[in-house]
Amino acid sequence: MKKKLVASLLCGIMTVGAVTVPAGAVQASEGTTITVMASQDWVYDAEMELGKQFEEETGIKVDYQIVPADQYYNMLMTKLNSGEGPDIFGGQSGSFDIVSQYNVEENAVDLSDQAWVSTYDEFAKAQTSVGDKVYRMTYYDVSTDYYVVYNKKIFEENGLEVPTTYAEFEEVCQTLLDNGVTPIYEPCADGWHQTMWFTEIGGKYEELVPGIVDDLNNNKIKFADVPELKEALDQLNDMAQKGYFGDNYLSDEYTDLLMYLGTGEYAMALEKPGQIAAIVEASDGTYTEDDFGMFVIPLLDNDVYPQHPCGPSRFVYSGSEHQEEAKQYLEYIASADSVQYMIDNCDKIENLPFDVGQTPSYSEATQTFLDAAEKEGTVFQDSIKYLNPQWTELTQDIVSMFIGDMTSEDVLNAIDERRATQAEAVGDENWQ
Amino acid sequence: MKKSKIYPWYFAAGALLIYTALSVVPGIIGIGYSFTDWSAYSSELHFVGLQNFIDVFSGDQDYLQYILNTLLFTVVTTVAKTGLGLLFALALSRNIKAKNFHRGVMYMPSVLSILIIGLVFTSILNPKNGLLNEGLRLVGLDAFTQKWLTDPQIAFWSVMGVDIWRGTGYIMTILIVGILAIPNVYYEAAGIDGANGFHKFVYVTLPMLKQTLAVTIVLNVLYGLKVFDMVYALTNGGPGHRTEVMYTAVFKQFSQGLYAAGTTISSVMFIFMVIVGFFMIKILTKDEVIE
Repeated sequence: MKKKLVASLLCGIMTVGAVTVPAGAVQASEGTTITVMASQDWVYDAEMELGKQFEEETGIKVDYQIVPADQYYNMLMTKLNSGEGPDIFGGQSGSFDIVSQYNVEENAVDLSDQAWVSTYDEFAKAQTSVGDKVYRMTYYDVSTDYYVVYNKKIFEENGLEVPTTYAEFEEVCQTLLDNGVTPIYEPCADGWHQTMWFTEIGGKYEELVPGIVDDLNNNKIKFADVPELKEALDQLNDMAQKGYFGDNYLSDEYTDLLMYLGTGEYAMALEKPGQIAAIVEASDGTYTEDDFGMFVIPLLDNDVYPQHPCGPSRFVYSGSEHQEEAKQYLEYIASADSVQYMIDNCDKIENLPFDVGQTPSYSEATQTFLDAAEKEGTVFQDSIKYLNPQWTELTQDIVSMFIGDMTSEDVLNAIDERRATQAEAVGDENWQ
Repeated sequence: MKKSKIYPWYFAAGALLIYTALSVVPGIIGIGYSFTDWSAYSSELHFVGLQNFIDVFSGDQDYLQYILNTLLFTVVTTVAKTGLGLLFALALSRNIKAKNFHRGVMYMPSVLSILIIGLVFTSILNPKNGLLNEGLRLVGLDAFTQKWLTDPQIAFWSVMGVDIWRGTGYIMTILIVGILAIPNVYYEAAGIDGANGFHKFVYVTLPMLKQTLAVTIVLNVLYGLKVFDMVYALTNGGPGHRTEVMYTAVFKQFSQGLYAAGTTISSVMFIFMVIVGFFMIKILTKDEVIE
């Protein structure tokens, strides 16, 4: 009797389950959901708000899948390589690597016929195209880059001037450290930020070693052959060893950067100029925007302003069942209203690479800083083939250097090995 | 007298067929791909002989260190989970108050998603504001605060510690079942012979638990050799490459589109696990008698 009762109950549950599942399926088919997969900090809150507005207007729901930066590329490539990519995926490399890294001709949809392409910035377009086909939309402020943002008040209190050489920079850091201020907030935990110290000064490398970009791209020289690259890594390591990043830099997270600069606990950090407003907000009235300034990364006495035309971008996955909806979303976020909305509601975005009549939000200080640029050069992750795809591994190697497991030579050799592996896999004739 | 009954082989044919199709064949195909240059970047496959295996064992790419890390993880977590699991199983198989509640609490971590555990422990082990260091500071044990997941000397031990916390309850549950299956008559007989608690454990419990222990050890060893998600969620192989294990390396190779390299490491691990599993079962069940 008892057994019969249990069996009847189970049958009942199964029947209800069988009826419920199709009911859910019917409901799901009423509206489409597109997935946008991106690395942490590539999709801002303002864009998610646009996503909600897009849903209200079109009925298409946008599901943002944000992945920690140090895991993003591995996870994305696993999905793409196994044929299970999201409808829209984020990517970061330039025209060289979108073929070798993302295999866009296979994995992404040609977006050349989309209306927004006519308003797309030519500089950004060149980096996001293969031949005459546009494969992605850069949705990031590429008009500015990461600079050393410093606290002017702390500098004044410690009698410090803006450094123009690495020696001066070291002196500034040491003085701050001696006076109880941690010089630099360097969030290593996220697995991407620290590598910029090395790659952002691509313009300086080109100035010091003329032809280095072409020679590296044509495999005439290797990273390990260039003493200047070793010196830059040594200087970066020196900063970590001397305590300029503080005690907990390996655990520090990028999301806390605003807070720590806002409290004045740290005096400097690599950050985009648009974030100064957010740092001020995080300071709870202690500082104003006038209390912060910027200078370029001073490793190797760098004075070349970085140009970084390849910001985080959006691809439409070729295997997506919702390609049209995904294209519709891109069209929506590139509209004049959306672009202005992003500029007005996101500190990091002072402009977007579209010409839709928007008004950029550069502060006077940012404009003055940018106007002061006498020399400009493209960052290495954009100009050097097979470098950006190994960002996660390179970042891990740099941490290995910080903890003494690798030397700067080891890091450079590892870069060369990975470049060779990828170039050979791609069949690059310069590596044959 | 009961004679053992040997069933005809075709009784296992269905299971063998499924096992062969889903496990053996992919394994063999994977081993085959290890001898090629298979990648996401080219549709052509070329035979490269033993090159991929040479790369793994040549020491150029730190794989040997990853193998050692994997073995260390396996040994430490197996010993700790089995030891602690046995200890808790002995305690919670007695008639103590609220034993089911305690069993439930102990078992709970093993039903949680490893990725969720990873996220929670990343926060708990944060050196600045994590629960563990805050707790230590609160009770005046500041000297014991650590950078649990970023200190190169400690990070791997932290990962193993979290895994031991997660897996002990599961092992405990299996062992409780084993202990409860031991007929009470053996303990009564031992008691009449004057055996104390320790003697009963050594001469009754342990021998009778041998098969169950063998199962838990094999499970732990194979889990340890295959470990990926715990390391991935807590440290992603860092700081630097200090906590990298074989399957995080496989994951990184696959995600870079270097399939052959990833398959090679998988194949090495596959063969290694088959050998380890085979010998462990042989050794741990050598006294087993079919009745």
